[in-house]
Amino acid sequence: MFDEYLRSVLIFAGIHVIAAYSFYVPFKTGQISLGQAGFMGVGAYAAGIVTAKLGLPFPLGLLAGGVAAGLVGVGVGFPALRIRGIYLLLLTLGFAEIVQVIILTWDYTGGAQGFQNIPFLENALVWIYAIVAVLIVFFARLERSSLGRAMDAVHEDEMAAEVMGVDVVRVKLFAFGLGAFIAGLAGALFAHYSTYVDSVTFNILIGVEILMFVLVGGGFSYWGPLFGAMFLSLLPEFLRALRDPMELIPVSWTENAPWNRVYEVVYEFLDFENEKRLIVYGLVLVVMMILRPQGLITRNTMRPFRFVQRRMHDA
Amino acid sequence: MPESTASPFLRAAGLTKRFGGFHALRDVDIEVRERAIHAVIGPNGAGKTTLFNLLSGVMAPDSGEIAFLDRPLGRLRPHRRAALGIARTFQNIRLFGHMTVLENVMLGEHWRIYPSLWRSFVKASLHRPLGEAREETEMRRRALETLEFVGLADRRHVMATDLPYGEQRLLELGRALAMEPRLLLLDEPAAGMNIRETEDLDALICKVRDRGVTVVLVEHDMNLVMGISDRITVLNFGDKIAEGSPSEVQLNPAVIEAYLGEEGTL
Repeated sequence: MFDEYLRSVLIFAGIHVIAAYSFYVPFKTGQISLGQAGFMGVGAYAAGIVTAKLGLPFPLGLLAGGVAAGLVGVGVGFPALRIRGIYLLLLTLGFAEIVQVIILTWDYTGGAQGFQNIPFLENALVWIYAIVAVLIVFFARLERSSLGRAMDAVHEDEMAAEVMGVDVVRVKLFAFGLGAFIAGLAGALFAHYSTYVDSVTFNILIGVEILMFVLVGGGFSYWGPLFGAMFLSLLPEFLRALRDPMELIPVSWTENAPWNRVYEVVYEFLDFENEKRLIVYGLVLVVMMILRPQGLITRNTMRPFRFVQRRMHDA
Repeated sequence: MPESTASPFLRAAGLTKRFGGFHALRDVDIEVRERAIHAVIGPNGAGKTTLFNLLSGVMAPDSGEIAFLDRPLGRLRPHRRAALGIARTFQNIRLFGHMTVLENVMLGEHWRIYPSLWRSFVKASLHRPLGEAREETEMRRRALETLEFVGLADRRHVMATDLPYGEQRLLELGRALAMEPRLLLLDEPAAGMNIRETEDLDALICKVRDRGVTVVLVEHDMNLVMGISDRITVLNFGDKIAEGSPSEVQLNPAVIEAYLGEEGTL
């Protein structure tokens, strides 16, 4: 259906969306985690063990990846209960570091050589976007449920929420665990598309990128992570496409002109790989925090397009 | 006011709470009768809000025991106390600012259902694949009734922080009432209200009591307190210095001294 390149771009964008949702869930209760890459790592390795080592089919691996990451998530969620803000950020960062070290030293899954020969998932695109669709439906429902409202309340004022009858401990643990579960799914999908993962695949920078997806897209609407992850994942492709019109400028115009150097720098820049991508991300983030700190999408933005319709419009 | 039962509705005995060397409450006993309006008054720093924090479970006492409906509350967490029927408002308004008025009140009904993935997602999706869950519709209907009761129904889609101050206080009251509590702790509900709003509040609190809710009230507005209270407890620097009917308390020399200095009357 798509050419090979576009397909891989869309696959990675989809994985980014799932990862962004994994950040969104704990964020909904006010918990900011930089450790989602760590949970992706747990998911990737658990899924890889199930498929590559035990030879079981992919769906079981996917499930194992999610469940393993989810259980670890609840474990990390306990100390996270008492910590907030910058300290929680550091705790989750430390967790992601620990995962990396364990991956690096665990010989069963290849240690420093990385986990090789993970079976390739043929229909990765379908799998990924099916999961994205399920997540969107899920969050649309969550938004209109007492569980979702309780999570928002915990985000805004834990004490008031508790006095209103919300079991804050349970809600926060649930959110952390569910976020980790979703990150585990993303990790499992990644592992079975790239067929190889190692300790640096899920490094700290990935955690920062996931955070950025949600900050840019908006963390107060369930559409935010989708838009943010898609926007930032496809941005490099759009920028690269800008080179085509540039190439239409006749060489004779630029060759000896004073702006030739500018032309070359811009042309170079538009085709960026990893490091330059982070420069663009950084610029986007700076501009966003100045112009629209709440993210591109807020609750009010999506009100006219509600997924789950109210039964009675007014009441 | 009919005497309900031999055992009191709410009883706190020997409540003590220290912050460092400062006694916020010292050995305070208090008994609240069912369906009464019981006011707790005292100068600033007398320990009134601390008392509410202990009753609602937001803080644990250093010593002393609280029993609600003959059940010792011990270290029961606030959300469990909410489920037993204890609701409160806050002196410094603590609404959920990014939610609408209606959503704030709907949160007050939270404890009724035990929200879970199963209920919110699986079961609800099976019932109404694209509509909202049945319990959600039901909660919204009840929340609207509560809003009508406190007179904020036409403001239901306004963000809570966009309300004027007096209406925010009413919303806090409505949110607490949505819990259908048996005991309602009101922490300075009239603070920041003008005279007309205070009069409306006066009537509203009586209506709440007539619904069968026991009200414990911390308030500085003496007209309000003396007008509606069945019983008054007076705190000063963490000690209980008097208790009785409004007329008894008004004539109590210790109260007059604590409150107004040597001269003057309440």
